[in-house]
Parts: sequence; structure tokens; C-alpha cells
Amino acid sequence: METYEFVLPSLWMGLGVVILLFAIFYYVGYRSAKITTTAEDFYAAGYSIGPVANGLAMAATWASLATFMGVIALIYALKAPFVYLWIQWALSIPLLTLLYGACLRRMKAFTPASFIKVRYGNEAAIISIIWMCLAMVMYALGQMIGLGMAFEVLFGIDYNYALIIVGIATVGFITMGGMYGASYNAAFQMVVMTLAIVLPMGAIMKTMGSSGWWFPPLAYGDMVPQMLNVIPDFFDMKYDYRWYFALIPAFTMGPIALPHLAMRIFTSSSVKSARWSVVWFILFLGLLFSGTYTAGFAGNYFTATEGMQIKPPDMTIFALNVFYNPAIVAAFVIGGAVAAGLSTIGGNLMAISGLIGSDFLGIIRPKMETKKKMTYGYAALGIGGIAAILLAFSPPAFLVTSILWAFGLLATAVAPGILLGVWWKQTNKAAMMISSVVCGAIYIIISPHVLPNISHGGQSLVAKLGMSGAMVTVPLAYASLVILSMLFNKMGISAVDMDTKKMIDRIHGWGSEYDERRYNGSVMPAAVVVICVIIFIWGLQPW
Amino acid sequence: MKEKLYKKELFLTVLFFIVLLVFGHFAQLFVLFPGLQGGSMWGFPVHYIVPIVMGWFGLLIVTIIMAVVLNKFDDDMEALADTFEGKGSNKNK
Repeated sequence: METYEFVLPSLWMGLGVVILLFAIFYYVGYRSAKITTTAEDFYAAGYSIGPVANGLAMAATWASLATFMGVIALIYALKAPFVYLWIQWALSIPLLTLLYGACLRRMKAFTPASFIKVRYGNEAAIISIIWMCLAMVMYALGQMIGLGMAFEVLFGIDYNYALIIVGIATVGFITMGGMYGASYNAAFQMVVMTLAIVLPMGAIMKTMGSSGWWFPPLAYGDMVPQMLNVIPDFFDMKYDYRWYFALIPAFTMGPIALPHLAMRIFTSSSVKSARWSVVWFILFLGLLFSGTYTAGFAGNYFTATEGMQIKPPDMTIFALNVFYNPAIVAAFVIGGAVAAGLSTIGGNLMAISGLIGSDFLGIIRPKMETKKKMTYGYAALGIGGIAAILLAFSPPAFLVTSILWAFGLLATAVAPGILLGVWWKQTNKAAMMISSVVCGAIYIIISPHVLPNISHGGQSLVAKLGMSGAMVTVPLAYASLVILSMLFNKMGISAVDMDTKKMIDRIHGWGSEYDERRYNGSVMPAAVVVICVIIFIWGLQPW
Repeated sequence: MKEKLYKKELFLTVLFFIVLLVFGHFAQLFVLFPGLQGGSMWGFPVHYIVPIVMGWFGLLIVTIIMAVVLNKFDDDMEALADTFEGKGSNKNK
């Protein structure tokens, strides 16, 4: 088959759009810096972001560069099942808000580690900070490498130079603006991303002959018969049920513990406002994601009908725009991709800043004054960004593992401690630490990325993405945390104190009214153990 | 009243957790019950378009209901907490 290689028709137009966007990001960062005066401003935007702006910022933080590049290429390779994998990402923030976001917003936490520190103590918080920082570095590194490669391909600049230019420019405006800047920039970036996907797709569909060009996300059904003629298996549900079920432990339960998503809840002006932010998040994210599926469909349709394979597949959306749309539209789509990468890096760096500048320093220097804490927050943000740039020059193989794999790690090592910590008073500090370290280590060991010889699932895609591993370690982590907690509490090892129990009632909204029986039953933990044992045994079966 | 509110909180959390999972993983129903596949909607095979629509507009409706119901629940909690601590002492800010 003939190949169609992506070439940007107008270099200066593309550069012009990117420079204009960066100018706007710096302006927002500068304005934000002026209103950032306290640690609350720096880490949580003064708990002041309204539902619409926060919903947009949530969607932008969640939708990464992959929305424009990786996903479309994977739909190209895996077809409809990858769409199903992607749909469930929308559950991340609604579940996070329902299960613990509102509770932690009540205690005015900066990150989930702030809660872990109060709930379990400093040692447990340090373990969680390490896991979460690892995931954030992998995440930011992936975005940084993606941006460097995108600039290399788009503008023909050497990767190393591209990385330095885009990296420093990015870290600059994020460090300047703190959480106010990250929030308002992310909201603007989401608008750019959505317009850059949806509107040009309408024009592409019209040229392709679809009558549904007026609503690209859902109205391309008239292209289906021709698609089935040339790619008959596009809509096939080709895997067994376990593949689809494994999405829950690996990809639904993991993002719950992503600190940069949780921090979006914490920036809300109130608990109630946070819940309405979630509604806007679903509306905006659904529009963007559906546009992405359309682009994936159109890429396959293009190959099938034009007889040309897009090279590289990551560039599908840009190639389609160059082929069907004027140069200025292709340049705008590039702007959308840049916005997607930057919004996620912004969230990642703010999370690293909160975890190190506030949580970690709060542990080793508890009496540090607020002003100093904020200075260290700025420093952690800048250093985190510089570290991501430096790592991206010659990335360690382990750190460039798909970020999807890291979600399973968080689902195993961090999420159980947060969720059971919020909902069950008996959750024990020593049990949490052992479960987190041991199950997290098992997840790494049975993955194909570190010790390929003992990988559960071999070298298959389910193993590389962490699905086969998470089916074993996520249920193991929840079950072991419950069982060890019961055991340790009976033995009197690091038993939960009364202040911690009262704090649990308080964050659920009970104020100072305490009741020992609340969040202290045995039915929920027993049910968790039974369900987890069944999933664990199922997950152990060969893939 | 306290006991009733506590049970309501647990019930609503479990209920919304399950409903969110179902809507976000609608494709699983078509794998579990292959008989549901085969139809078409808006020109697409149902097992393709229904999970997309449920993962967008379905979740949108669920989150709207969630916001209304849980915010109302918070009002009830605040009212109860106020009876213990004096009015205005437990605002969910």
C-alpha cells in the first residue's frame, strides 16, 4: 500500500499559532502570579475556581497529548476495542469526587497525600508521595517527549533543540502562574483543544462525503457501510469478557489516585461547586473524546478508501487536516495538540510541587512558615519541570513505559489506602504501608517492563498496559489491607487513635458530632474481601 | 435521624458507584450478552455507538442527578450538624 507522509504545508503559519498560544499562556501566568499571595493560592487557587472553569480545567488536565496523537494511532491499530478502553476514562473525576474528593475538599487538602499524612502518619505519607511522584514524573516525561517529538516532526527541528525550546517555554509559564495560572490556562486550553478537533473534522467529513459533517462527534454513521466494505472487522468486539472487565481494576480504579486530578476537585470554591464541576467535565470531555473517536474512524476510512497508509500513525489527525483542509486549519490543529500536552504537564508539575513543596516538606520541616512553604513550592515546580526536560533527553527505558501502566500501579499502591482510609475507621497504618509496598512491588515484578521473564501475561499488550498485572494486584491490595488491618488492630499494632476516627467523621460532614459505629462496620470490608478474592483468582488464570 | 442520614450516605455512595461503573463500561454488556449486538442506531452498530453515548450523555445525566442528590444530602447533613453545634458552624466550604 502507498504511504502518505505528513508534511506541514506552512512552517511559519504553524509557528505563528504556537507562538500566539504561548503568548496567551504567559499573559495568564503573569496575571495569576499577581494574585498568588498565600500557599492556598499557590496550591489550590485560593479554593475559588467556579464550576464551568473548573470543569474545563479538569477535562484539559485529563486529556493529554495522547488525545491528538496516541489514541488515534491506537484506534488505527486496535480499532473499536480501544474506543471502549478510552470511554471509561470519563469515570475518573466523577468517581474520585464521589468516593473521596468531597471529603478531602472539606478538610482543605492540597493533595491526596495531605490526607494520608493526617490519616496514617508521616511514614505512610512518604510511601504514597514516592508512588505518586513516580507516576507524575512518568506522566510529565511522556508529555515532554511527545511535545519534543511533535515539534521535531512538525517544524523539522532537531529533537534535542525542540525539547529545550518547548520544555523551558512550558515550565516558565507554569511556574509563574501556580494553581491559578494552571487552572485558567487549562480552561482556555480545553476550548482550543475541542475546537481544534471538532471543527476541522466537520470539514474533513464533508469532503469525505458524509452528510453528518454538522456534528462530527456522533453523525458519521452514513460512512459506516463503506467502512465495513473495506475494513470488515472495524467494529468487532474481538477480545473475551475478561479483557473488558480488566479495564476496571487497571484503568478505572487507578486514575482515582492521580494527584493532579484530585487537586482539580480541591480548587473548587465549595464541595457543592466541585460536584457541578464534574457535570461540566463530562460534557466537555465527552465532546473532545467523541471528536477523537471520529478522527480515529476517519483515519481508518482514509486509508481504506484512498489506499494510502498514514505515516507515522501518530500524525493521523495532522495528516488528515493537511490532506483535506487549508494550511491555516492544520496549523490550528497543531495548536490544539500543543495545548493538550501543556495542560497535562501543568497539572503534573503542580502535583509534584504540592507533593514535594507542601506534603514532603511539611513532614521534614513541619514548622516552616507559609511564605517559605510557597517559595519551596515554586522551586519544586520549576525543578520538577527541569528534571522532566533533562530526563527526556535520554529517557530511562523504565520511565517511558506507557503511562497507562502506571495507572495500575496507583490503583494497587495508593488508591486502596485512600478509599479504605476514608470509608473504614479500622484501616490500619502498618497494614496500609505493607499492602502498598508489597503489592506495588508485586505489580512491578510481574509486569514485562522490569523482569520480562516472570511477566504475568508474557509480552502481550494486556501485560504491557498493566491490565493482566492489575487484575491480580489491585484485588490483592484491597483484600490484604482489610485482612491485615483486622489482624494488626487485634494485636494492638499501630491501632487507629480517637483523633483519627473523629477526623473521618468530620470529613464526611458530621462536624464534631462523633459516633464510634459510623464507618466502622464489618459488612463492607467483608464484601470487599470476597469480591477481591474472586477477581484475584480470575486474574491469575493464564492470559 | 443521624442513623438514617448515615445509611443514606452509604446507600447513595454505593448506588452511584455502581451506576457510574455501568455507564462508563457499557460495552461490557454487549460482550456479556452477545444477543444485544446486531442492531444499528444512527447508522452505527449498536455495540459501538451505545457505549459512546452512554459514556457521554448517559454519564452527564448521572452526574447531574448525583450533584443534585448529594448536594441536597449535604444540606440535610449541615442542618443536622447545626443542631449540634449552633447555626452556621458546619458550612461545606
